[in-house]
Amino acid sequence: MFNISRRNLLVSSAALAAAASVGRALGQSDASGTIRILMNGGDADLANTNNAIARFNKKYPNFQVSVDMDPISTGWGDFVTKVIGQFASSSQYDIYGTAIETFQTFAARGLMEPIDDFIAKNPNYSDFAPALFEACKYQGKTYFVPTSWNNIMVNYNRDLFDKAGQAYPKADWSWDDFRAAAKALTVKDGSGNVSQWGYEVPNQNFFIQPWFFTNGTGVLNDDWSASNMLDPKVAEVLQFLYDIIHVDGSSPIPGSDTMDNQFLAGQVAMINRGHWIIPNVRNANLNMDVVPPPQKTTQATVVGFGAVGISKGAQNMEAVQAMVAELTGPELEADVAKSGSSVPGSKAAAELPEFLAFPPSAPLYYQTLDYAKAVPSPANFLEVEKIFIRYYTAMMAGEVSIADGCKQADAELNDSFARLKASLGA
Amino acid sequence: MATTARHSDLATSQMRTGYVLVFPAMLLYLTFVLAPAIVTVVLSFAYYDPQLGSHWVGLDNFKRFFTDRRSVQIFWNTLQFTLFAVTGNVSVGLLLALALNRSMPGWLLYFFRLAFFLPVIIAAAFVSIVWGYFYQDSGIFNYYLNLLGLPTVRWLTSAQTAMPSIVFMDVWKNTGFFMVIFIAALQGVPKTIMEAAIMDGTPPWRRFWRITLPWISPVVFFAVVYASIGALQVYESIWILTKGGPGDTTRSMSINIVEEAFGSFQIGYAASVAVVMTVVILIITGMQMLASSWLVSK
Repeated sequence: MFNISRRNLLVSSAALAAAASVGRALGQSDASGTIRILMNGGDADLANTNNAIARFNKKYPNFQVSVDMDPISTGWGDFVTKVIGQFASSSQYDIYGTAIETFQTFAARGLMEPIDDFIAKNPNYSDFAPALFEACKYQGKTYFVPTSWNNIMVNYNRDLFDKAGQAYPKADWSWDDFRAAAKALTVKDGSGNVSQWGYEVPNQNFFIQPWFFTNGTGVLNDDWSASNMLDPKVAEVLQFLYDIIHVDGSSPIPGSDTMDNQFLAGQVAMINRGHWIIPNVRNANLNMDVVPPPQKTTQATVVGFGAVGISKGAQNMEAVQAMVAELTGPELEADVAKSGSSVPGSKAAAELPEFLAFPPSAPLYYQTLDYAKAVPSPANFLEVEKIFIRYYTAMMAGEVSIADGCKQADAELNDSFARLKASLGA
Repeated sequence: MATTARHSDLATSQMRTGYVLVFPAMLLYLTFVLAPAIVTVVLSFAYYDPQLGSHWVGLDNFKRFFTDRRSVQIFWNTLQFTLFAVTGNVSVGLLLALALNRSMPGWLLYFFRLAFFLPVIIAAAFVSIVWGYFYQDSGIFNYYLNLLGLPTVRWLTSAQTAMPSIVFMDVWKNTGFFMVIFIAALQGVPKTIMEAAIMDGTPPWRRFWRITLPWISPVVFFAVVYASIGALQVYESIWILTKGGPGDTTRSMSINIVEEAFGSFQIGYAASVAVVMTVVILIITGMQMLASSWLVSK
């Protein structure tokens, strides 16, 4: 048993009061509660998130924050279905880390809280490229804060270029320059079997987009409300990629797997990838550099990015916003820059020496943002992506002609948009 | 009268106990089998979106399925896979069982049985990943083809070879299971009849057709029905090897259902495809049961 004397009680009370006032003086909040966060990615992203939570807990020591990670191993479709299910069963998280591919799907369903006021109050975001915030809007309101992004560049193996006696590509190279380089970098044995591919014609929607953008076109129209597959320029892009495979023999037919491992092993000279490949390239000691995608009519590339949003009706809004501020603040941006898993949203972080150390042309990542276009992500993105990739792989494999493939894809895409309009109307 | 009443009380008590004993199993069945099946049927007549609003659409989902030209292709892919995979699994399994159902040193017998059965216990996802590497343009199959001076085969990226490649892997993986079933059935063939046939000078192929096959025919039909139900639901091996491509050439009905429901969030439409698929499985199984009642030796 403890015996508490009046004197001890007074001293203890005074000490507690003093501690509380010191806490307040340090900017600590007395508020208490719980915050649940669902982020995506791997170990590096979890470590960055835990660092942000630790910073948050210094200001909000009475909040318990839990974080779950979704590896997005089966694509954004499963993630969207999971999140919609969580809202339907009222078991949603307070904060979601997501990507541009899901923005309209979530915003159109009213799952996220508009956060324009919060963004206006936060001075850190003035350092972010305005284009990123523009893509976070749906019907005039902002629902997400960008954290990091990836734009597609042509990643090339410098050793293989040296071996083939090819000059490194310049930032303003053309489709013809690219095609000639891919041919020169393809190595075949006496019986015509390929031991080194010049290029990997991509198999994923995000990686393919620069080919359309650099020809001044796209799979969808400019406001992502209808198919654009009947634009002759789309067919021109597809024919160009088809010829790289079937006429030049510089690339295998895109299958279900990407060729990252073959690139890292020096069996493929060029691939379209974002900054996420850099940690693996470093581990493989590959002598690699990046260059913007080659251009036909215009210089362009595609950008996709991760962002953080607040669930509609989240409790403890002040603390939740403070948590989001940490998840998108300068310290987290610096962590992203150091881990190299993507390009940080903040320009200051993208200018850190750790970020610029590799590859040699690392500054190009941020410089190309000026002409990068967001990956088309309508509210029916999940369906659009599947339809396009299905016809794209069939066309690249020569299973359907490019003219027929474009026509059939166009019909299916427009059916999907009609269903979307009907459901939004409903 | 008293005896009758006591008997009636006993019967009631036994009945009550019976209900209590089956209740947990029935509860599990209702919760995890019957209720989801009923919900799927209900959803097949609806557009379902908890946020944007759900509403009844009548037969629209079924109309969409039966008028979509992709449905025919996907349905045909599934039947094609079923036909070849079932034929391959059952016939190769039977051949292996016949080959191993003979006198040989015990260790050799167990070695062969283990060797052929081993793929069955390996996860299909893992097997598919490994075979995916074998089937690559620069994979081991093409390596040996090239050594022989033959051209590279596009195992998984050509419409002509993708489905046969998947079937080949499926037979390699699953035929050991049927082999074990057939070995058990073959050991039930009465030795006396077989010995009598041998003494009569009946040639081996005739003994197989006239004695062995009729004797094990119920097991063969079980194997066909079991393999067909599994093949009609094929998912992971195709998904990992080709993701249904190129185009739609290897997409199965199960893949289509998952893609529509969880990839495109077309829950109602996916439910209607699931209902159609269930009906197809029921019809095919029913036809096989009918055939077995006519053909199986009594």
